[in-house]
Amino acid sequence: MQWFDALIQGILLGGMYAQYALGMALMFGVMRIVNVSHGDLVILLSLIGISLASNFGWGPFTVMVALVPLAIALGWLLQKVVLNKVVGDDPLPSLIATFGLSIALQNMMLQIWSANSRSLPGGGIESQSIQIGGIYVGLLPVLVLTFATALTWGLDLVLKRTRFGRSLRAASADVEAASMSGINARAVYASATAIAVGILGFAAVFQSLRSTVAPADGGAQLIYAFEAVIIGGMGSVWGAFIGSMVLGVSQAIGFRIDPGFGVLAGHLVFLLVLAIRPQGLFGKV
Amino acid sequence: MVLFLLAVVALAAMPWWAKTGTIRMVLELCCYIAVAQMWNMLAGYAGLVSVGQQAFMGAAGYALFVLAQTFGVNPFLAIFIALLVPAFLAVPCYMLLHRLDGPYFAIGTWVVAEVFRLVASNMGFLNAGAGMSLNVMKEYSLFERNVAMSLLCALLILLTIGGSYWFLRSRYGLALIAMRDNPVAAASQGVNVRRLRFMIYVAAAVGCGLAGAVYAMAQLRINPPSAFDPMWANVAIFIVMVGGIASIEGVLIGSLIYFIADRWFGQYGASYFVVLGVMTVFVALYARGGIWGAVSKRWDVHWFPIRRHLVYTPEEKP
Repeated sequence: MQWFDALIQGILLGGMYAQYALGMALMFGVMRIVNVSHGDLVILLSLIGISLASNFGWGPFTVMVALVPLAIALGWLLQKVVLNKVVGDDPLPSLIATFGLSIALQNMMLQIWSANSRSLPGGGIESQSIQIGGIYVGLLPVLVLTFATALTWGLDLVLKRTRFGRSLRAASADVEAASMSGINARAVYASATAIAVGILGFAAVFQSLRSTVAPADGGAQLIYAFEAVIIGGMGSVWGAFIGSMVLGVSQAIGFRIDPGFGVLAGHLVFLLVLAIRPQGLFGKV
Repeated sequence: MVLFLLAVVALAAMPWWAKTGTIRMVLELCCYIAVAQMWNMLAGYAGLVSVGQQAFMGAAGYALFVLAQTFGVNPFLAIFIALLVPAFLAVPCYMLLHRLDGPYFAIGTWVVAEVFRLVASNMGFLNAGAGMSLNVMKEYSLFERNVAMSLLCALLILLTIGGSYWFLRSRYGLALIAMRDNPVAAASQGVNVRRLRFMIYVAAAVGCGLAGAVYAMAQLRINPPSAFDPMWANVAIFIVMVGGIASIEGVLIGSLIYFIADRWFGQYGASYFVVLGVMTVFVALYARGGIWGAVSKRWDVHWFPIRRHLVYTPEEKP
């Protein structure tokens, strides 16, 4: 029973990681770049959300309505000002630029919000639970997982069915051929980053509801997103989703074995996948 | 070159001309230079961007403490035996990580560093999260310790800067420069790109290990958060990018800038790091060559000539 419980908790935890991993998988799939400041953006949005909630007395869902458009704008701006200048075959410039951005963001947040941990008051939903077959499950984690599933499904649908999704996939397969057939790669990139960071707007609300956030937490979130993407297999939206579940379950089981072992268990499963199936569980070779 | 040798001699002779405080500051500077140069070899030449070199610094530091403190090996001997640890650890790490593509490799190295840190904080043998102290150093007088530290500084610089210089001037250096410019073309000319990258990765692990062990010995204490501090990655990237990537001069300039900036502006804490971060972004966006890149473009000067010129005699004399 205890292990079944860990499994359920792990899947629910995976819902949180999936919301980070989706944007990362999208950006890597389209532009072949990794945004090192991915985790710091989640924390930045969370802190903005917490400040909004405490200043205007907004509930978590009002905050979400405000935060997601802000996140989309932030992503678009990030692409226009920084990433469009560094996207290319050489991975070094984009890594260094986003790495510098990550340091700057982290310390700017430290300056504005100080090093204290904060969280978003949820008006009770963070502590409610529902009983399913003898196991108590938190309402909030279920909500997180539902949102994660919906976001994954929606993103997958956008990529497969819409005109925009087609141009995105074309730009990711071959930029030059895509621009010859009339696709503006820079505009497509800007929309991709806007979506990726927009998803972080949801993630930020949930992250600050379910636990506390502090300016220095960004690195860990980046690593979880990255591990989920690699475990699941690159370039696939559902792969990132399943990878997040695997990571969540590994961590939950690790925490049951020993509280100091949880995060490490996630890392070890990641290294194991890298050793025996480097293309990821669902990746194509 | 002559200046470099003089500097190494001056470093070794520090106890006779410098105060203990100065030696400690110089030691810190030497560690920056060493770590930055190792990162420069990885990113600037081998095309391997790492943000997890602190893994090997911490591993060597811990190995030193275990050997000297738990097994009673002479600490100055232990520091060299401890270098075997990062060398051995680097092999499986590279085997796993080289499967990751460009930017993912970088985050992968970070995961490895986190694994090292978490393992160290869970191992009772290493006194877990509380860390260890190097009590055996009490047996040596202050002067003896200063002599040892100065010699280690000199050795660190000689091995990392001198070693890189020698390596780049050797036959491998030509292959390395070819690889930096275009790995596919280099491979088609018979350069064993995979083996060369592997060699650089292991060598950089040992170089960072030496810096980590020397730094830990000077601190006399080690615990997981400080031994595996990601700050080292920030520092190395800042130094190399601002100073000028793929040049030894750039590393020296960058280290000096960072060292002085740290002394002057360190008190401003967070806002100082915001400036460092923004500067790194600007270098990546607008001035890829860094300061040295700009200087060497304008004036054709090289302190460490590693370029090769075409000469029409059978012997190569750059």
